[in-house]
Amino acid sequence: MNFLLLATAEESGAIALNPDILETNLINLLIVLVILFYAGRSFLGKVLTQRRAAIESAIQEATQRQQRAAEALADEQKKLAETQRECDRLRQQAEADAQKARETILAGIAADIEKLKAAANLEIATEQERVLTQLRQQVAEKALAEVRAYFARGLSDDQARTLIDRSIALLSQ
Amino acid sequence: MMLASFPTMAALEVGKHFYWQLGNLEVHGQVLIVSWIVIGVLVVASAIASRNLQTVPGGFQNFMEYALEFIQGIAKDQIGVKHYREWVPFVGSLFLFIFVSNWLGALVPWKLVKLPEGELAAPTSDVNTTIALALLVSLAYFYAGFKERGLGYFSKYVQGSPFLLPLWVIEDFTKPLSLSFRLFGNILADELVVGVFVLLVPLVVPLPVMILGLFTSAIQALIFSTLAASYIGEAMEGHGEEEHSDHHG
Repeated sequence: MNFLLLATAEESGAIALNPDILETNLINLLIVLVILFYAGRSFLGKVLTQRRAAIESAIQEATQRQQRAAEALADEQKKLAETQRECDRLRQQAEADAQKARETILAGIAADIEKLKAAANLEIATEQERVLTQLRQQVAEKALAEVRAYFARGLSDDQARTLIDRSIALLSQ
Repeated sequence: MMLASFPTMAALEVGKHFYWQLGNLEVHGQVLIVSWIVIGVLVVASAIASRNLQTVPGGFQNFMEYALEFIQGIAKDQIGVKHYREWVPFVGSLFLFIFVSNWLGALVPWKLVKLPEGELAAPTSDVNTTIALALLVSLAYFYAGFKERGLGYFSKYVQGSPFLLPLWVIEDFTKPLSLSFRLFGNILADELVVGVFVLLVPLVVPLPVMILGLFTSAIQALIFSTLAASYIGEAMEGHGEEEHSDHHG
């Protein structure tokens, strides 16, 4: 009877609540919701935990890899700096060596030049001496030859007489 | 007296709707109300899940990311790795809307609210909703086909043999038809079966049917979105096959 009244009331009515628990299927729906909640919680809980763990481990791995990469980078950078320093040191040393070698070589060359100059001077001197002696000898030889030639021509009688006369005059003085 | 009153009080209402007048249109108000609730649930859930994003997702964010991965999986399986990304929103919206509609329809005691006419139920149990969704899928796969292949999309119709042309054309009509009626039929039938069981034996006996209903509802959402993705993938995929056959022909 009650239902009939309610039904007639609805015919006219606007939106209303239906108080009939059985007809609205409320109890069954609650049971289904509870079943769903428990079944879903265990299933979804497991899946979601696994997912979270997988993501966590992936992130951790990535972080570790990043850390390792950063460490390797720092290492290599340190090595690079060291190499650079070694490079600079080598270059400086090389420059110093080069400077030193240059000075040594220059000094050696100067000494050699001096020595050569001295040797040349000496040679020039000796050559001059030699040429002079040779010239002197040639002049002397020429003079002698002239004298010899002069003598070889001999004295004429007049000359001999004048000579003898002069010599006698000399003796008589 | 009892026999006389029984049909009145316990009749199942099918085909009665809570009409709203919008201009010249009569719309099914109860469907729109529940659709808005479904949309609201999805929007609120997305907002809550993405409000405070963590690198390591926990709780609700984790759940929603899981759902997103599931949707992406559907799209990726059917459309292929190359193009699936742009279709994830469409396919995912289909899946989520249908799934939440079905489950809210099956899990919320809508009958607590008495409308002047008709009753609140899953939007997918109204054929208008499912036809709208199926037509969206048709538009989507035509759009995908034209976007990917241009007018060459039509070569699909005469690809095997020109005699198959009518079959291909018919298929463009049967696709939305089967999509919409499969979903609508399953959900409505499930609601009717549960309703009938509740009428006959109000307690405990409907439980297996209700749980089965939850299962089929989920499967229907999966089937609808998978088929939608598969049609889209098929429309785009023909390209590679066409080139393939050109090389050998």
